[in-house]
Amino acid sequence: MFAGRRRALRRRVSPTPYLFLLPACLLFLLFRVYPLVNGLWLSFTNARLGRAEYAFVGLSNYEKLLDDPRFLLSLVNTAYYTVASTLPILALPLLLAVLLNRGVACKALLRGAFFFPFTLSVVTVGLAWLWLLDPVVGPFNYYMRRIGLPMPSLLAEPQTAMWGIVLTSVWWVTGYYLVIYLAGLQDIPRHLYEAAAIDGASAWRSFWSITVPLLRPVFLFVFVIHIIGSFQIFGQVFVMTQGGPGDATRTVVQHLYETAFQSLFHFGSASAMAWVLFAVILVFSLLQFRILRGHAEY
Amino acid sequence: MPKRSVGITRRRFLTSTAAVGATTILAPNRRPALAQGVKATISFWNGLTGADGKVMDDLIGQFTKETGIAVEQQRIVWPDLYAKLQVSTPAGEGPDICLIHTVEVPHFASDGILEAIDDRTLEAKGFRGEDYLPSPWNGGTYQGKRYTIPLDVPQHTFFLNPKLMKAAGFANPDGSLKLPGSKDELLQMGAKLTSGDVFGFAMGSGANIGRYTWSLHNLLWQNGANIFTPDLKKCALTEPAAIEAAEFWGAIFAKNKIATPANANPRDAFIAGKVAMWIAGSWNVSGLREAKVDFTVAPVPKLFKQPIVFTIPHQFSFPKPKTQDATRREAAWTLIRWITDHVAEWTLRAGQVSANRKSHTDPRITGDPALRTLLAQGPYWQHGQSTPKWVPAENLTRPVVESVYIGQKPVKEAMEDLARQINALPD
Repeated sequence: MFAGRRRALRRRVSPTPYLFLLPACLLFLLFRVYPLVNGLWLSFTNARLGRAEYAFVGLSNYEKLLDDPRFLLSLVNTAYYTVASTLPILALPLLLAVLLNRGVACKALLRGAFFFPFTLSVVTVGLAWLWLLDPVVGPFNYYMRRIGLPMPSLLAEPQTAMWGIVLTSVWWVTGYYLVIYLAGLQDIPRHLYEAAAIDGASAWRSFWSITVPLLRPVFLFVFVIHIIGSFQIFGQVFVMTQGGPGDATRTVVQHLYETAFQSLFHFGSASAMAWVLFAVILVFSLLQFRILRGHAEY
Repeated sequence: MPKRSVGITRRRFLTSTAAVGATTILAPNRRPALAQGVKATISFWNGLTGADGKVMDDLIGQFTKETGIAVEQQRIVWPDLYAKLQVSTPAGEGPDICLIHTVEVPHFASDGILEAIDDRTLEAKGFRGEDYLPSPWNGGTYQGKRYTIPLDVPQHTFFLNPKLMKAAGFANPDGSLKLPGSKDELLQMGAKLTSGDVFGFAMGSGANIGRYTWSLHNLLWQNGANIFTPDLKKCALTEPAAIEAAEFWGAIFAKNKIATPANANPRDAFIAGKVAMWIAGSWNVSGLREAKVDFTVAPVPKLFKQPIVFTIPHQFSFPKPKTQDATRREAAWTLIRWITDHVAEWTLRAGQVSANRKSHTDPRITGDPALRTLLAQGPYWQHGQSTPKWVPAENLTRPVVESVYIGQKPVKEAMEDLARQINALPD
């Protein structure tokens, strides 16, 4: 009996699984945890890129952020982008996924076509949309004029520029979320729909009473991933508007990038911004989990 | 732009040999011979990502063939190049030579990234102030020390679309184009040229600092204003001359709608024949020629008190190495000397006039109308003030000036806001 217990104990403390985990853990510590902790330390210093000497300045960088109207504006703009992009990014891929899941013609081709934009880099996407939406030479405005609907370019006006960024993002990531929704839809047992049909439920009723509740875990995933990604938006802004017109599309990461790499290379201030952003994302992610987690079971 | 033959004919060889011989005999002490027998591989970082990069590749290929010195180039867009230089150099991973803009000299020098060049070395390598035009030469110094050797002078110039100008009646009897002589005249001409999706005027290119900040700088300097006071201690953008220049900047779009909207690329619009008058960088000349655009180049018009022209010269710099390697340094000097001696080729093919006077009388250059115009602007060249805060101030200026351009903010309020931000920049 004791021999058996010892054997079981030996099995439990066997180093083999830990050795397998070690490389990944080391890489995680080196490339994730260390920069994170170092960034936190830098946020309490006056560190500048390329300067070996720096001093501890306490909470000074965080206090300055409260007095920096451009940082506060970038927070507002980031929140605006997040809210404005959430509904189209949640709804459009879902709509397309439901249609594709119903067995439309050329399903594979359409799925590939919708996913294609996501295979492009953000720079390619940004440059393409920058040209499409160019107020003078862009085809979008040209054709609007041709059909008698002249309108200012989305990117040229401070009131609409962020919608140009939203449009670009929606076009870019719809295919990615579509694939996730499709996987979720295909996991829903067919017999539930058949039973509902026998009971006389309309397609709309089946969608609300079966599809939506059973897709909740997928919604949670898409929602959390999208919110995190939205708060970190940078590529589209950097390529298309650089935060303009004026500061209309200045987001936190754009502001952080300029502070760290263009304006005196202030890594201390930029690190403080990064940690504020981290805190905001953390709070929103926890809230989402709390709100949606309880309803995920079925 | 037609491709130039790279073959050497007997006549050209004899002519070149005679010219080189004559130069050597007539000025034996002015320039030392290229270092002989220096065999090294040196690194050269630059941001020549446009058509000029190809020209530099060709020149360096020729240099390697002649000297045996191999050059490894890293070509990175300018903002990323500067961030990389700032990080790599203290870590001992910087290049042997880096091409930078004049306005970057003060902050890289004050951060200890660049190595100072003493007068004795300068003299020994044959570089003398009198061989250069004063503005780019002086731009290579910071607080009395020299850090760089100028290469060329990218600058603003005035591009015109002859078809649009003539159609609007802005042609003189001799066929030349009528040019605006003041800001009011420019606004009037711009209004007449603007119709539908065609704009009378544009300034700068892209949606970045090159469009907004540099355009404002040119206007400020023409009006005798600047970003900082002469003692460089505080921002001078709230002075009346600065406000007046910014008001004109706001007038061209927000008020008069004669210029391209925000986030439109004036360069693309000019190429598409949608802009009649365009003040922009000389670096566009070769691209417009390649795109076979019908255009004329004229001097930047005098819109305010003085016909100042914005410039942003390229400078060769030596990032501070952790350990000195005399062979590599010698090879680096050899490269700078060689390019300086072949700067006419650079000017002709890259479209940028040299800072060194050597090529300014070359008939191939004076025979080119665009290059001749750029050279004629020489007496009016001006570049950014010599302070490490200049570049951060440029970055702060862009969004504020853009908000003035689109009429989002009243000019005075915007300039006061910008001045506050610039004055708050840490030392």
